[in-house]
Amino acid sequence: MYRSQKLSLRYYTAAVTLFGVMILFGLLSALYYLYPSLLFNIFNFNMSKILHIDTLVIWLLMGFLGAVYWYLPKELGREVEGMWLAELTFWVFCAVVAVVAIVFLFVQYGGANEFSMWFINQGRKYVEAPRWASIGIVAVMLVFAYNVIATCIKARKMTGIMWVLVLDLIPLVAVYLDAFPAVTNMSVDLYWWWWLVHMWVESTWEVLIGCVMALVLMDVMGTSRRIVETWLYIEVMLVLGAGILGLGHHYFWIGTPQYWLSIGGFFSALEPLPLLGMVVHAIYDAGTHRLKTRNQPAYYWITTEALLNFIGAGIWGFMMTLPQINLLSHGTQWTVSHGHFAFYGAYVCGIIAVLYVAKQQTSGVDVLGGRAWKWGFGLLNFGMVGMVMGLLLAGMAQAFYGRAIGGSTLMAFTTASENPWFVSGMWARMFFGVMFAAGYVVLAYDLLSSPKRVPAAGALPEPA
Amino acid sequence: MDIQDPSFWRAGAISTTLVMLVVLAFLSIDSMQVISVGGRNVPKYDVINQQIGYEYNWSRHAAVPVIGAAEPLFGKTVTEAEATDLMRTGKLVIQSRACMDCHTIFGNGAYYGPDLTKSWLDPAWPQIWMPMTGKTTREDAMVEFLMHPDKYPTWTRAMPNLQLTQDEARATVAYLKWLSAVDTNGFPANFSQAGKQP
Amino acid sequence: MTPSALLETAALLGLFVLASGGYGSLYSAGRIWSRPALIRAGGVCWALAFALALVIAIHTPLDPGWKLLILASAVVYLVIPPMTWRYLDRMHHEQEPHR
Repeated sequence: MYRSQKLSLRYYTAAVTLFGVMILFGLLSALYYLYPSLLFNIFNFNMSKILHIDTLVIWLLMGFLGAVYWYLPKELGREVEGMWLAELTFWVFCAVVAVVAIVFLFVQYGGANEFSMWFINQGRKYVEAPRWASIGIVAVMLVFAYNVIATCIKARKMTGIMWVLVLDLIPLVAVYLDAFPAVTNMSVDLYWWWWLVHMWVESTWEVLIGCVMALVLMDVMGTSRRIVETWLYIEVMLVLGAGILGLGHHYFWIGTPQYWLSIGGFFSALEPLPLLGMVVHAIYDAGTHRLKTRNQPAYYWITTEALLNFIGAGIWGFMMTLPQINLLSHGTQWTVSHGHFAFYGAYVCGIIAVLYVAKQQTSGVDVLGGRAWKWGFGLLNFGMVGMVMGLLLAGMAQAFYGRAIGGSTLMAFTTASENPWFVSGMWARMFFGVMFAAGYVVLAYDLLSSPKRVPAAGALPEPA
Repeated sequence: MDIQDPSFWRAGAISTTLVMLVVLAFLSIDSMQVISVGGRNVPKYDVINQQIGYEYNWSRHAAVPVIGAAEPLFGKTVTEAEATDLMRTGKLVIQSRACMDCHTIFGNGAYYGPDLTKSWLDPAWPQIWMPMTGKTTREDAMVEFLMHPDKYPTWTRAMPNLQLTQDEARATVAYLKWLSAVDTNGFPANFSQAGKQP
Repeated sequence: MTPSALLETAALLGLFVLASGGYGSLYSAGRIWSRPALIRAGGVCWALAFALALVIAIHTPLDPGWKLLILASAVVYLVIPPMTWRYLDRMHHEQEPHR
């Protein structure tokens, strides 16, 4: 095993751990809606939410880093350059996350001053971590970029996938610089904040997961390099073609000019189209391989990624993206429904697939299967679908009663939140959230336990 | 060009990305002019010296902020520099207390508390909190509430005490007043202002 | 937009994309497993998607530009699965003739 692949396993372990922490705070956050006096003035909803969404970003990022460190030496035929630095920054990353979490748990808030921004809580969604920690994360990402680029240079070899990855790293790191400023003008603050959030989860991360999936497809299904590279380029073209100006769907209501309603709505409405192409591709692959593979769980999770990405990001997004709808659905549980489904479909499924690839290749088992992964697969998917349906119900009620009828005042918000449909949605979310958590436990157990091999039936794909 | 050749699609990916980024750059430059303080949609901070309304504009097909007569905040007219200081503190309050991890502003944030875009204009202040706090002005009721929200709950989901000082609370109120004057293309829609005075 | 129109329109938009996705999935499944019945079912899904697009165009209070976009999308959704399929098939046969 390459040294970077050993590092990869450490990143995967940290990622799975933080996935669990994320779920823990997700369950807690959901409980507040049902028991509002829970931990009142001790540990409030906003701190629980911060830990939920920040661990989401970090665990997925760690999954990405792990996946790249796993495949990089195999792609370029040599050990990754600067490994001692990469190994050091892994521990730096973990330490930063731990310290920030402890401060969020026990200090929580500071005064309205620069000290709070530097050391306690910046209070901007997803990037609440204080500035000192943001510096740490920038350092980690710069080292990562150095590892990738230096290895490419030393190997004197570039593949198409590597080119896409390297070029993607530039905006990935650059937009994170918006984690630092505290701009007084909320319109300007949000304008650039969306460059960070949208250009991560709807642009650079899409390209990154595309690169990772290309590498996984070659590995798990034996697809040829020329095919995966062609698809990667098509995907980049379509996803960025729609996604860059699709950023405008966050610029409807923050004080920006009216033309964003047309531009953002139009490009956002195009975003499901490439996702349908991915569904077709996933079914083609499923049929071509007659559902046979060396790694059953990875294969099923990759296919699920394509389907749920289309549904969670495509269908759910399309329902609420046109400005006339969005005016009333914006900032409700409807948004939460879409956000959960899209993140899960676009990224979580793909990262889980990568974890199973690592499991198979570290265990040396020829064909990976078993029963536990199926339970994890079922519970996680049913749990997520149940959660988003509950949130959709609550969100539609909130948009209907709170925004459309009530006009978004405090009383309208209160009335909508006490509406039986809303409350039912919150209970459904809780129930399915517990199911999802159970799925996570099974997933973690399955990843850590001895691999179950299944007998190979018929010809299996060879790695490309 | 052969569409089976990856380099065809590579060229497509590069050119599409570049074109979109250039368009985005131009639109961003234009948008910055509109959303900077004093721009078309975002008033200067000393707008807090005036009355702010929110009325439906038929030609825009959206509600728009209406800046009215003099109405100094806390009875004191502030200079632009003083207003800017207040805003800076107000925004730091919002960040240091992670307000947007419970509330939304312009619909962005978290959904546990109500949207704050037009909270300055919310009828709950004159109808509920002024009587509850015993204050005679909207802004004084807001300050009292922000300093001790747990003393004045209106329903089961109460706002916690975030230990705001009086200066911080006043700055936050100023910030919320300015926020309500931003032209958000009509968000939130149908906002009621029953009992909008005092 | 009235409150009921909000929910109706959003539901129609979601169902429109769902039907288009159903068409794409059934068409692909029908092609890969050589089941004409699945391809026909996919066709029914697309017809449903187009019908939903028409309902959106006629019945909802969306602005005309968006209605046009949705109708145009319905046509594009029709074309995506067979075009993607043809391309995939050609590419795989040329690159992986052993399969």
